[in-house]
Amino acid sequence: MNLMAEILIQVVIAFLAGSLLLGLHRKVMARVQKRPGPPIVQQLIHSLKFFFKETAFPKTVSKVFYIGIVFILALIWVVGVIVGPVAKDSLLILFGVYAVYKIVEHNSGSSSGSPYGKLSCVRAVLSAATELPLFASIVFVYLVTGTMNIGEIITYQSVHGPLIFSIPLAALMFFMLIITKSPYSPFAITKDKVLISGFETEHFGFLRGFMLFSEAIAWYVLLWVFLTIFFGPLNAVGYLVGMIVISFVTGFINATTPLLSPNHSVMTQITIGAICFAGTALMIFTGVVA
Amino acid sequence: MDFVTLGGNLLGTIQLGDIVLYLTPFSLFLFAVLLGFTVLIGLSKPETQVEATMHYLNNTEVKVGQKELKQRRFLAVICGIASAGAMITGDLFNFTLFMALVGILNIGIVSAVKQTSVLNSAFNYGLIAMMCSLPLFGGAAIILAATGTLSLAVLSQMPASPMVVFGAVMMLIGILGESGVAPFFASKAEMFRTAGSPYIVIIVIIHLSSLFIIVRAVEILLLVLW
Repeated sequence: MNLMAEILIQVVIAFLAGSLLLGLHRKVMARVQKRPGPPIVQQLIHSLKFFFKETAFPKTVSKVFYIGIVFILALIWVVGVIVGPVAKDSLLILFGVYAVYKIVEHNSGSSSGSPYGKLSCVRAVLSAATELPLFASIVFVYLVTGTMNIGEIITYQSVHGPLIFSIPLAALMFFMLIITKSPYSPFAITKDKVLISGFETEHFGFLRGFMLFSEAIAWYVLLWVFLTIFFGPLNAVGYLVGMIVISFVTGFINATTPLLSPNHSVMTQITIGAICFAGTALMIFTGVVA
Repeated sequence: MDFVTLGGNLLGTIQLGDIVLYLTPFSLFLFAVLLGFTVLIGLSKPETQVEATMHYLNNTEVKVGQKELKQRRFLAVICGIASAGAMITGDLFNFTLFMALVGILNIGIVSAVKQTSVLNSAFNYGLIAMMCSLPLFGGAAIILAATGTLSLAVLSQMPASPMVVFGAVMMLIGILGESGVAPFFASKAEMFRTAGSPYIVIIVIIHLSSLFIIVRAVEILLLVLW
């Protein structure tokens, strides 16, 4: 298939699937909390609606960054789709994509001049602590498979079996990142409701539409990468079931856990990351993992 | 480990005497993002920071003067270019130089703020950065002494001796401190808490340079150690 066509198709799939999965996530949270909750398609409708809403620009904004940052946000997750599902290229590039995402989160809050965005921006600096477990997880995948290339990692797993069985603690570290990224997560300190909508507070109209578009794609890409590097070669049905299960599990976790304070959030993530890091290193260097 | 295994297919190299820059999809992505943000910094004006005035009903608005903006934007652009250089360099010593330059520029960018809390944080960060320049350069020197080269392409083909591992760990400590990321990030986060603290045009490059240098450092350490 033509490369451009494949990229376009994969981006559309990522947006539609990501939006529906986030809708499912909201539905699960609502049902756990004994609320009817919105329809599963609500997230998708919500995202599309914003593209047709009137856009307002607060007079305090740094306009170039305020507008530019949402396009960069959308662009980096499109790069995530290209590197992941389309090209199955290096995991390190996806690590870079996640690093840019943290910067975008930080800057969209700060560029508005709003104190809510500003505090969300400060918290985004603290929440960069999730980078360390993500990095450790990727390194352990490399140590076991000998490659950073996603395509080669899939090939390795088709011969040796899924990595979830050989390095489960590394998978847990990556799963912690997924929980962090999920809406209403105990670690979602940048979108704490005391900060209204955090870094998104001052973005309206089509700018918010781009943000929701990016969130849907980000959710799809993160789930795709997790399933691909830890659950071996999967077909379309495998991916679909895996993504639904993970959205269901994270929805349940988020519905039953309170939001942590910024310091506790960072401490918890670092502690879980350190335990999983030590455990996986021990398993690899004592020969438990071949 | 080689460049291709880590960053994807080698797209090309640029040889400047014994300094070799190399381009893979990974390094190109980081380089392009940094240059893109640097252009945005060059074009942007700062936001107006707003916060509630204590004991009154009105808001406090903090605006930035043109002269101060020009000076600090210049430093931010240089920082962006230095960080972009660190993304594509194929030489360990060049990387440490770029890293040290980024550290100095970060301190320079925030030290012009006339707020005690911001200056305190900048001072703490400055102390950490200065102390960490020793393990940063020391680590690179140990690797040079142990292998006889600073070229990443050559180092990636060599087995890692205990001295190389020691040098790499020293470098990692130096990079963590110079870039001010975990576990040193608290002093950086404190710099931006209040209205009147550094604004978007300059804080974007402080964080972007730190995070990207850590991402690049991961690649370099994997090249040297495995």
